Amino acid sequence: MNTNANLWRDVLVLFGLTGWALALPSYGNEFVVSMALTCLMYVALSTSWGFFCGSSRYLSLATSAFFGLGAYTTAMNLDTMPWANAIALGSGIAAAVAVVMGLAVLHLRGTYFAVLTFGMAELIRHAISYYEKSVHGTVGRVLTTVPEMSTIYHTVLLLAVITVALSIFLRRTRFGLALLGIGGDEQRAQTLGVNTRWVKVAGFAFTAAVAGGVGAAMAVRWTYIDPHTAFNPFIGFQTVLIALIGGAMTLWGPLIAAIVFSILAETLRLQAPQIYMMTLGLLLILSVLYLPGGLASMRWQTFKDWYLDMRQWYKDTKYILSGDKARDKQRAKERRIVGL
Amino acid sequence: MSASEKYLLQAKDVTVRFGGLTAVDAVSMNIAAGELVGIMGPNGAGKTTFFNAISGVTPLTSGQLKVDGRSLTGALPHQFAKRGLARTFQTPRVFSDLPVSENIRFGLMFAGRRPRKYVFWGEEKGVPWALRDTASILSVIGLSELADLPAGAITPSQQRVLEIGMALSTRPRILLLDEVAAGLTEIEVEEMARLIRRLRDELDLSVIWIEHAVKVLLKHVERVIVLNQGKMIADGKPSDVVRNKEVIEAYLGDEMVNDSEGLT
Repeated sequence: MNTNANLWRDVLVLFGLTGWALALPSYGNEFVVSMALTCLMYVALSTSWGFFCGSSRYLSLATSAFFGLGAYTTAMNLDTMPWANAIALGSGIAAAVAVVMGLAVLHLRGTYFAVLTFGMAELIRHAISYYEKSVHGTVGRVLTTVPEMSTIYHTVLLLAVITVALSIFLRRTRFGLALLGIGGDEQRAQTLGVNTRWVKVAGFAFTAAVAGGVGAAMAVRWTYIDPHTAFNPFIGFQTVLIALIGGAMTLWGPLIAAIVFSILAETLRLQAPQIYMMTLGLLLILSVLYLPGGLASMRWQTFKDWYLDMRQWYKDTKYILSGDKARDKQRAKERRIVGL
Repeated sequence: MSASEKYLLQAKDVTVRFGGLTAVDAVSMNIAAGELVGIMGPNGAGKTTFFNAISGVTPLTSGQLKVDGRSLTGALPHQFAKRGLARTFQTPRVFSDLPVSENIRFGLMFAGRRPRKYVFWGEEKGVPWALRDTASILSVIGLSELADLPAGAITPSQQRVLEIGMALSTRPRILLLDEVAAGLTEIEVEEMARLIRRLRDELDLSVIWIEHAVKVLLKHVERVIVLNQGKMIADGKPSDVVRNKEVIEAYLGDEMVNDSEGLT
């Protein structure tokens, strides 16, 4: 990772994409705008996930918990609070919960960490359900004061742009380097002077703050909220899948994958929801097997390698199936050549 | 200068227990500035555990640690690194995805960071000339030509040298080397020993060096500490230690005494 290499390229690409997304509502129809909104939501979620979990290799499954916390904060406070404050509060609460959660579980690694974050997410979901049932008597909430579609769109766009911009910037700072070191060898990073505990908690809180903010903004899309929709684990899983398929270590990978996914989702889900889920699974398997670096790691060389591998495979298969291999073996045996 | 200020590293009754096993048993040692100390002992004697304990990687069961006169008992490894204590690991633990030069830059960005001349730019203050930046550290350890290769792609013996470079990038005052010459050829071992002595002489580092290649170790260090079953059984000049009865029994065997002509 070179400090300033590609900085201007990244900033300009972000600038161009932002302009494009800003202009979209004026020429796209309602369907396109709602698709773009989902896309932007996943851009923010999986870019922030990739920034922390991709470089530090701490696989967190708690995104849906932070998303839901943000959504519930809006649902409870939107009647008494301006829009911007509600979103800031949502993201703040999610970050605060992440700090507490991080201090408790971030010393675990690998599978234990993943399972524990998922458990914590479920815990938070059930705690909210219980709270709603025992204090307010009902589980669901109807949102009465809902802002206009364009406000929601611009808010989520702003959140996505802030997330990508921060990701561009933070990757080039000591903080980003520390996360990368933690991903490489945590103890080594520690003996080189990284306060790993602080760095991990801060990175985790950043992810949570973004998820909380996005959740707070997206809550009003549903108009009716209950813990089951707000804390839907599918949102968390899809964030992870998008980041992994796009390339969790890279900056643009999650963004590319988010675009691909939302197009896939909107076109397939309406006609055949099962096929959409199957495509997700298939894409994940293919990317793990053949593109471990994700979509963003594709280069011309990747295609060339695939082509060469295919040709080699074709040659080998032809050699076996045509009987040439057996014939050669037989000849070698007759001439007593060992090892062919 | 009082006695406690003279020593860079003071370990008092350092004990580490894993369940019922006492890996390090009340080991005390004081290391002065610029000393080159060797630690040896049979397998499982607790050498590496002792290193882990005095670099903060493994928490102490009991005992006290002072680095540069400041108590660091129970501190985390990054605090040790900030106080000027750097270490290498027995198996090279480089960041294999990052280029060699990034591996060096990593330490410079964290424990090795010093205030700059004009706050945000200008050269860093109070830094030895040989350790001023990534390129100079690479040239000290002799890996300049490999700077752009990923660290996972260089040979294991080069990775061992890179480990030392990473330790140097924290701009340390004490350097802990854990079997840096293991698995190297004879010539490479000799080169490594010369590098270690050069670092000590030029950078005025205190070096503590664990090694199994006894002859090389005894030839190059000025003081040897022998551990056996977690206890310190000898501490002194190499020529005295090879004649120590307990050491011969536990570790060296008889033939070392006859080979020991010409040791300091």
